[in-house]
Amino acid sequence: MSKLISHIVVGLALLMLTFTSCKKEEFGPQCKNCGENAITPSIQNDVIIVNEGNFGFGNATLTLYNSTDKNVHNGIFQQANNYPLGDVAQSAYYFNEKIVVVVNNSNKIEIIDKANFTSIATITGFDSPRYFCPINSSTAYVSNLFSNKIDIVNLMNNTISGSITTNSNWTEEMLVYNDTAYVCDMSNNKLVLINTTNHQIIDNISVGIQPNSLVLDKNNNIWIMCDGGFNEANAQLIKFNPNLRTIEQSLVFGNINHSPSDLIIDNSKENLYFINNHIFKMNINHTSLPTSNWVSNNGEVFYSLGIHPTTQEIYVADAKDFVQNSTISVYKNNQQLSHQFQSGINSGHILFLP
Amino acid sequence: MKLISVIFTLFIVQTTFGQLLNDTIKFEPFVIEELAVSATYKTTNLDAVTTKSVENLAQLLQENSTVFIKSYGSGSLASVSFRGTGAGHTRVLWNGVSLNSPMNGQIDFSLYPTPFFDKVELHYGASGLIDGNGALGGSVNLQNSLPNFNDSTKSVKLNYNYSIGSFNKQIHSGKVSYLGTNNWFYETRILHSEAENDLVYHNFAKKENPEERQQNAALKQYGFQQAIYKKFKNQTVGIRFWYFNSDRNLPSTMLVAKNDETQQDESFRLLVNTTGFKNKFSYKISTALIHDNLIYTNKLIDVNSKNNSLLIDNHVDVNYFINDKITFLNKVNVRHEQAIADGYNNEHKRFNNSWLTGFSGNFKRLNWTVFNRMTIVDDFFKPIAPSVSLGYQLPKLESVTLKAAAGINHNYPTFNDLYWTPGGNPNLKPEEAKMSEAGLKYQKAFGKTTITTENTFFFAHVSNWILWQPSGGNIWSPTNLKKVENKGFESTLTIKYKLNKVDLSIRGNYAYTISKNIELPKNTDNALNKQLIYVPQHQFNSSLNLSYKNTSLSYGYQYTSLRYISTDNNWYLPANYISNVSISQDVKLKTTTFNLRFQINNLFNQTYQSIAWRPMPLRNYMLTLALNL
Repeated sequence: MSKLISHIVVGLALLMLTFTSCKKEEFGPQCKNCGENAITPSIQNDVIIVNEGNFGFGNATLTLYNSTDKNVHNGIFQQANNYPLGDVAQSAYYFNEKIVVVVNNSNKIEIIDKANFTSIATITGFDSPRYFCPINSSTAYVSNLFSNKIDIVNLMNNTISGSITTNSNWTEEMLVYNDTAYVCDMSNNKLVLINTTNHQIIDNISVGIQPNSLVLDKNNNIWIMCDGGFNEANAQLIKFNPNLRTIEQSLVFGNINHSPSDLIIDNSKENLYFINNHIFKMNINHTSLPTSNWVSNNGEVFYSLGIHPTTQEIYVADAKDFVQNSTISVYKNNQQLSHQFQSGINSGHILFLP
Repeated sequence: MKLISVIFTLFIVQTTFGQLLNDTIKFEPFVIEELAVSATYKTTNLDAVTTKSVENLAQLLQENSTVFIKSYGSGSLASVSFRGTGAGHTRVLWNGVSLNSPMNGQIDFSLYPTPFFDKVELHYGASGLIDGNGALGGSVNLQNSLPNFNDSTKSVKLNYNYSIGSFNKQIHSGKVSYLGTNNWFYETRILHSEAENDLVYHNFAKKENPEERQQNAALKQYGFQQAIYKKFKNQTVGIRFWYFNSDRNLPSTMLVAKNDETQQDESFRLLVNTTGFKNKFSYKISTALIHDNLIYTNKLIDVNSKNNSLLIDNHVDVNYFINDKITFLNKVNVRHEQAIADGYNNEHKRFNNSWLTGFSGNFKRLNWTVFNRMTIVDDFFKPIAPSVSLGYQLPKLESVTLKAAAGINHNYPTFNDLYWTPGGNPNLKPEEAKMSEAGLKYQKAFGKTTITTENTFFFAHVSNWILWQPSGGNIWSPTNLKKVENKGFESTLTIKYKLNKVDLSIRGNYAYTISKNIELPKNTDNALNKQLIYVPQHQFNSSLNLSYKNTSLSYGYQYTSLRYISTDNNWYLPANYISNVSISQDVKLKTTTFNLRFQINNLFNQTYQSIAWRPMPLRNYMLTLALNL
């Protein structure tokens, strides 16, 4: 009998040993397909996919894509810097030959070297930063969620130099035209106009419910996408004349459940693209919304949209179930699918490098 | 005559061990005592001794079972899941009353300090069917023992514990009981605990991984429980009131620089019950009132959210002993659920009623239970949810019992699923689990050594699994999206050895769990047949206890394999291995016993996370002084 016991004890001890001996130094979340191979510096590295990750999971990543040789590198920020990008990467920009990434829930902006993706500076102290908009070569505005201000960032010393108080607690996308910044105010359904020389609010223009994105066309009209909120009102695509400060055209979406987003414009500044479950394309001279889609989602969950400045190809992300890697599909100008690749979790923004 | 003696035995057992009488799981061992066959379902019992040595329910289960604990850190939210199901698929019952919030269907296990109950029983898979709707994974039964009216040793008993530990932790708890004349019994329990939880960790989310101290994690809890019992000839009536208050700051993940969140929880729980028997009937009737308040604040974004819920839960359980072989089981539960939250447009109410009826009995070496649970919740009427369990003691090898069980259970959508604004989906269907298990139990004593082992294979299908996902415009909304298959194996082994004044016990628990999506929309193929997130494939824990005279030494070890945190299994949290060690010394002075206990948690100073980017404590210490008289 004692033999049996000793066998069992030895067995248990061995079992514990096998569990302890295969230890590897891994701390925190690990990504299998990130940093698989070394990043090859190349001027053809022309696309950065900003992967939000999941709120609280800290799995925001940057995916680098080379549209010529189609090489993909996932998790380049962690690979280059040995620490993660942060929690919920919201948007990214190319400015002063550097990559600027707004990391929403980590309350920071990372300024990243274009060649090797190392962090040059980290700007901290934001509340809940969303979008970044340079107003000159040394200053930018940063919009905020849950905060009634636009932060003013000094890009010479990478600090927050001041702020503009708004009466909004959710400002979204911005653009600058003729010394005026046009800011989407999601909470008040307004377009906020700010004088970029003295940082004073000039005007608040009522638009549709929840303006989320805006672009400037070749006639210097601003197109604003208003998603209509959660069944609050019908979504609208608004054409705004910034010189006269008047709404020239309001195109109302027919279905209250529609929630269009991601309004972008091509290089010629003539054709608008946006996501409304599917991808839609619309010429700026049209006076009604497109009735049929440009590319159908075919069961996919379109989450972000981009247009390549030179190839004019359309990049669209499928976020799937939001808890796994997205797939990026690249469509040619003739609506044909040209290529697909995997990026990170919740690819919410697509940045093209010159 | 034999029947009467069975009933009498039952009654004695009942008065000694608590609310066991009408609970068939525990009921069976006593009914079929003569046949020496034990329970046919997989259960785990954690007794008073085990529950005493830990702070809260989460830690208790972590160290003693293979259910999976997801913890946000020391003192923070902890949820429990069984066999690869979700946290909302675990029922928690207090003396038979389900405490799960009607709002999110869950329980925060960090709000259940162990001094408030005497015994915990885990019912895995199909064995949780007896506990009501929603236990798709299993259930955790918190029990207060019924008083022992025959105790003639002392009429007043007092127990006081004081613990002091790392992170400025201080816990006071006490219990006084008084057995009066004429079979009156009074009992009071109190608890006060606080901690800064300002633990130090390496921040792997920052350049150079600096050492940081956790901010905004302080915690304060207090509460009391009062019980009064009166025993009549064939009946015991009891009333128990439990107040609990928790106020804590919510720390952020390592990646968030700014945060100022707090959560206050307040619970009022009142339970009145009576148990007894008459002729061939035994009964348990109870009514409970459970009122929970939760206030969440986030000063940075100016959020102050209030949530209120009320449960009125009534049980009438009557068993009829047809003969000494067969018992007729009957359990009626009328439950009113009501809640209001800032996230709802108005207050929501519903009845969540069920009626269980069945038979349990024994035939030679076969021990069996069959029942059906009928449920009516709002507009849903599910007349059929059957369950069957069998146990068979081998004729030649009496130490071996073969067992098998199967059943169906439903989990109704919570108020948040149905009514949260925006996003709630009033068209949700109940989740349905079809569960089965089979295995064997072996127990034998060899001289001074006793060996017990139980090995169970389980298989379950959960359909209409409710999943929240962003829909149009970034609004999250739930749908009956997933179909999940859970299967695996659970094994426990206990060896006890006794020689003179030396007691040695070795215990090991192992669980292997495969939990995967078997049906998903076309574009999410990468998640098909992949392990669900936050379900470890392997879990193992063991403990070694050695005691000599009044001194005891124990060592515990817990292994959790990697947990995937993305549905395509591309992201994961690495495995962790935690060891705890403690030494305890009793000093007896006449009628008073002092106990001094010193415990080292995370002995080998392992850095690990239970949830992504939430630091878990490194090596930490706790000293407890207990006084019993």
